[in-house]
Amino acid sequence: MHGMTENIMAVLLLINLALTASSRLAGCIGLVAMQGVVIGLLPLFSQEGFTPRGFFLAGFVIVLKGVIFPRLLTNTIRDASVRREVEPFVGYGASLMIGTALTVVSFWLGTRLPLPSYPAGMSLVLPGAIGTILIGLFLIVSRRKAVTQVLGYLVMENGIAAFGLAAVSKIPLLIELGILLDAFVAIFVMTIMIYHISREFDHIDADQLNTLKG
Amino acid sequence: MLWLLAVLPILSGLMSLLMPSVRLVLASTASSVLVIAGIDLWVVVTVFMKGPITSNGGWFRVDALSAYHLAIMMIVFLLSSFYAVSYFRNEPDDLRLNPGSARRFSALWHGALSAMTLVLISNNLGIMWVGVEATTLLTAFLICLHISAISLEATWKYLIVCSVGVAFAFMGVLLLAASAGSPVAGAPILQWTYLHGLARTLDPRLVKLSFIFLLVGYGTKAGIAPMHSWLPDAHSQAPAPVSAIFSGFMLNMALYCLMRHLPIVKIATGYSGWADNLLIFFGLFSILIAAVFILSQHDLKRLLAYHSVEHLGIILLGLGLGPLGIFAALFHTLNHSLCKTLGFFSAGRIGQIYASHDMRKITGTLRANPLWGGGLFGSILALIGVAPFAIFMSELIILKAAADAQKYLAIALFLLGAGAVFVGALRHAIDMAWGEKPEDIVSTSNNLIDRIIVIAPLAILLILGVWMPAGFRTVLELAAGIVTGGQP
Repeated sequence: MHGMTENIMAVLLLINLALTASSRLAGCIGLVAMQGVVIGLLPLFSQEGFTPRGFFLAGFVIVLKGVIFPRLLTNTIRDASVRREVEPFVGYGASLMIGTALTVVSFWLGTRLPLPSYPAGMSLVLPGAIGTILIGLFLIVSRRKAVTQVLGYLVMENGIAAFGLAAVSKIPLLIELGILLDAFVAIFVMTIMIYHISREFDHIDADQLNTLKG
Repeated sequence: MLWLLAVLPILSGLMSLLMPSVRLVLASTASSVLVIAGIDLWVVVTVFMKGPITSNGGWFRVDALSAYHLAIMMIVFLLSSFYAVSYFRNEPDDLRLNPGSARRFSALWHGALSAMTLVLISNNLGIMWVGVEATTLLTAFLICLHISAISLEATWKYLIVCSVGVAFAFMGVLLLAASAGSPVAGAPILQWTYLHGLARTLDPRLVKLSFIFLLVGYGTKAGIAPMHSWLPDAHSQAPAPVSAIFSGFMLNMALYCLMRHLPIVKIATGYSGWADNLLIFFGLFSILIAAVFILSQHDLKRLLAYHSVEHLGIILLGLGLGPLGIFAALFHTLNHSLCKTLGFFSAGRIGQIYASHDMRKITGTLRANPLWGGGLFGSILALIGVAPFAIFMSELIILKAAADAQKYLAIALFLLGAGAVFVGALRHAIDMAWGEKPEDIVSTSNNLIDRIIVIAPLAILLILGVWMPAGFRTVLELAAGIVTGGQP
């Protein structure tokens, strides 16, 4: 079983790197959706196992992150008619380098963090989770488009979900559902906001939202 | 049955969706908040008379600390709901609410109340976090109730900064749960009472790491510098009743979450003062940053927003100064909430009368409208710590606590920041109150509710400034006793 978690975390890390290097927003949305599905599968192969609760949660996460979020975001970029992240603050080559560096850092951090309930044979889960959180943060600060910031937020959420798996043996179902509900409302609210922003400004460049100062 | 407290606002929010006109929506909002306040008051009194209430197998719990905050929340919401009626009635024609936007306002208003109640009544740190995140999402559209370029900008910043910040707090919660080691199967690993009972055996390294994440996460939501970047924008762009609940309670709700975690951290680190030093540092940093921006501020609502950064910093400073400081910090919480709600109420109405929030244009408010002009002047005086208002008293106790703890550098920096704020804000306050009134300003009339909204907070602040009732002191001591975690 544990071999599977390592494979999943490897896929997760590869998706992170692909995200730092792609400029097509539709492609980014697809990658994040794939990451969501992979994250949804992860508990089945670790803490939960093939239990009814495990399947229920996995199904819930996959529908939400793999189907609903990408559709909401795809509709948003269609309405705002943006296709590409043009001129990010950090170029794609440099982003890929930084992404790789962040992944290395997360492996180092992963070995330093003394988590007691961390199961043996899951050596990739903790560094993978930290790496995903860092990449999510990096996407939020280094990209201009509001949609990419939302994607960065989603990547960070995915990382935290994996981190929860490594840190805590079992989160109560009610809380898992609460977190997913919050994530759903967050994406819903953010896409509505982007819609309003694109109507008001004729663009969705978050860095140009800079009138309020001091 | 405590969960009913969080469900009631949702029900009354749904009810207000059925109201046909703006007047009825706002009136039903105010009256339903009044009813909810009555029920909450009953719970609060029960807790202080008979001790903590636990329900639903330990998922929900109200003790002295949460009851105290519940009371403050209801005061702020009650005042703001009644104020909203008169505020929206006096909006200029182009910003007037239509029935649709009034219903949206009411639904989100009740939603925010429900989420904040959930934060206060939950004994489970995970549910508490879910509640905090929900307040961000529910209040976002309250900021851009009137859609404009700058209100959208403020909302977007608020949404992104707070969502990402609060996500860090969840890492903190996870790390705290992890510090308990491998729990027995079925243990309520995220329950506050469970972790509090185990606090001595928690791994101090993980607890420290967790507290750093919690401080950054909930600190973002509480507007602690340097994570406060969203705060002045959101507070200044939101309609005044919304600014009032943001500043009057939402920030304190985030600090409440830190207060919940503080005793666990204190016990787990063996009262070494590790967490205290962090709190003192961030508290002083907030006070000083706010002072810099207050000195160069021309926008009235942004001025009040930076006052929030300052006062949340003062509360944080108090929390770091041992039992007496914690006592004072909780006292300060009530004082600041009362004062700041009144400040934003007055700023909102004065802003409508002068059609501007630029303090260079707002002059002669006492002649233009004695009630709101007086409310603004009184609230700024109280905010900058003029005696005998209660904020002066709570700041004095914090200084005493710092002197007892021999933190002389902290005293010096606090006085430096508070002094700068005093000078900077007093100058504005005097110009606004007594300056030359522009000819074309036409004042509106005030009704009885307006008078009560202005006079009641000022009266309470004056009374608490000169005399603290024995019952209220007991309430504060009970609440502070939970935050200290048995620190000698």
